[in-house]
Amino acid sequence: MKVTVKLIGPLIYAAGFSEKEITLPNSATARDLFPRIKLDKKRPSIITRNGNAIGPADTLEDGDRVVVSPLYSGG
Amino acid sequence: MKGWIGNILRVNLTNKTYKKETFTEEFAKKWVGGRGFAVKILYDELKPGIDPLGPENKLVVALGPISGIPAPNTGKCIVAAKSPLTGFYGDGNLGTKVSDQLRKAGYDAMIVEGKAEKPTMLYIEDDKVEFLSAQEMWGKGTYFSNDWIYAKYGKNVGVLNIGQGGENMVRYAVVRSLEGRAGGRPGIGAVMGSKLLKAIVVKGTKTIPQADPAAMKAAGYGDLKTVHEMDKKSGWSIQSTNGVLAWCNEVAALPVENCRKTSSPDAWKIDGERLNDARIATYGCPSCTMKCGITIHDKEGHESELDYENVGLLGSNLNVFELKQVGSLNYLCDEYGLDTMSAGCTLSFYADAIARGATKGDFKFGDAERGKELLGMCARREGQVGNLLAEGSLRMAKEFGHNSEAYAMQVKGLDIAAYNCKFIPGQALAFGVGPMGAHHKEAWIITFELKNSTRDSYGADKAAKVIELQRIRGGMFEFMVACRFPWIELGWKLDNYPRYFNLATGLNWTLDDMWKVADRAYSMIKLHYIREFPNATRKGDYPPAVWFDPANADKEGPIAGKHLDIDKYDRLLQHYYDQRGYDKRGIPTKETLGKLGLSDEAAAAEKYAKLS
Repeated sequence: MKVTVKLIGPLIYAAGFSEKEITLPNSATARDLFPRIKLDKKRPSIITRNGNAIGPADTLEDGDRVVVSPLYSGG
Repeated sequence: MKGWIGNILRVNLTNKTYKKETFTEEFAKKWVGGRGFAVKILYDELKPGIDPLGPENKLVVALGPISGIPAPNTGKCIVAAKSPLTGFYGDGNLGTKVSDQLRKAGYDAMIVEGKAEKPTMLYIEDDKVEFLSAQEMWGKGTYFSNDWIYAKYGKNVGVLNIGQGGENMVRYAVVRSLEGRAGGRPGIGAVMGSKLLKAIVVKGTKTIPQADPAAMKAAGYGDLKTVHEMDKKSGWSIQSTNGVLAWCNEVAALPVENCRKTSSPDAWKIDGERLNDARIATYGCPSCTMKCGITIHDKEGHESELDYENVGLLGSNLNVFELKQVGSLNYLCDEYGLDTMSAGCTLSFYADAIARGATKGDFKFGDAERGKELLGMCARREGQVGNLLAEGSLRMAKEFGHNSEAYAMQVKGLDIAAYNCKFIPGQALAFGVGPMGAHHKEAWIITFELKNSTRDSYGADKAAKVIELQRIRGGMFEFMVACRFPWIELGWKLDNYPRYFNLATGLNWTLDDMWKVADRAYSMIKLHYIREFPNATRKGDYPPAVWFDPANADKEGPIAGKHLDIDKYDRLLQHYYDQRGYDKRGIPTKETLGKLGLSDEAAAAEKYAKLS
């Protein structure tokens, strides 16, 4: 399946991309994306799928838009 | 007494007099500094009902026990007064060298009272205070004034100044410093203007007393390096706060067209990536090693410093998606000394009110050029429109009628930060119960809320989280007078703040001690509120009505058809009150005030309003 991954803020520069389509095996979870985006698992982050938060263990579906962001305390 | 100097400088502009006053260790421990000092001093010294733009109002500049030491992110000060925007206590913080210079001059705080006869600049150097003419700066913007002061005194002085917005008493005029820093959203700059006080310049040469100076020095310089390394590793300051814009756009929380919409396909044009690409320089506050101020060239070629709140409210909320134009609007706010956030909300409200037929005018969403003209008219209070804009969105709505108050995006008169809460109940609550109104420094839960709970939950856990975050953000950081960014953005532990407090004072405080002071300061702001508005109800803690309106719900996207539920919101509000020990109006009960050591303050409030 293919999902679109959008990264926020500093994660863009760690992963080397801002947004791209990634092919994953069927029934892959959000956690399966972590190596692909070089996510520092020690730092808190928020993952959303189609605009609503999910956990690392949640299963993704073909066509999902997954956004990964560090936690911000605002502007 | 270590950590605190124990002195407050009192300056009277009417009589051109000044004196040094002392405070006790009991006062210091009860209020700590910054917001704690300001909220207590103004409560004791201001009579309810005074005109915030009259000579009876007082300006408080307050620091904390770790101000002026080289600890991470402590280069800030608090400016406070009775707010001309909201009609009760208001404050703000800003990065400035006043943080160390005023302490080195021998003061933990200063109180400015009365009104000068002519435009005045205060020059403070240790024990000396001079009342100097500010005539050459009067009528000029903050960049001119700052340069004028630097040319006269060099760059190693602390400066607080105002622009034309403050001079002309725009109700959301701010205080400025260091060319890129601003604070005092509730119109503290207008209070300076009302006193004909153009600028305060401070130079100090004394040593700040600390319990363990050697340990403090070692810790401070070590942690400045640590924070810098943490920032480099995380990459946070590549976009600094501006990463928030793209995220809000993805989770339907971006203010677009006066919060009519929660996202825009054009948002990428003004996001953190584009800002980083356009960066010409980076600036920070004193004692900061994770600098957040990214500057770009605006449309006219000025250097303009942007952060998320500026871009969200002067950009997307105005439907302006050209970064250089957002830079121009931001530059003008900074030059005139206007709060960028309130200015963005006020212009957006004006465009919306015209579009909805509540008033007539020639301003449309997306018209940056007209927006720039309007900002100038506002700062100069030029004509009917300029005067109207200078009053802020709530007063404009009351003037327009036609139910326009529903979409004036403010709480208690103070405009919201750049989070569109059509379907984010916890963040809406954070705005609603912000003690001064919808101030960004304390009203924030959104990322925790969306990460850890379902969007449609209105449970007691959300109220508890709002309180927890208020104690940290509006509490500890405001009375210690420190920036919050190392905490969430980098994961620098909160325990560091009592650690520095203890190194400075020789006390042995924990975070729990900090929370008690935080609750005390919050309760004091509520006492300010109720004695000014004795008939206040819980409706004052509601967010803008448009977020409850089904007709305002998104038509598509992740929250299509969704809106806040007013009955559920009210129950969420009650959870907050119950956990805080507040009554049904949102005012601390006498029992709560007694537990916080505020029985005398409660008795004083009862001269004006009934307490439960």
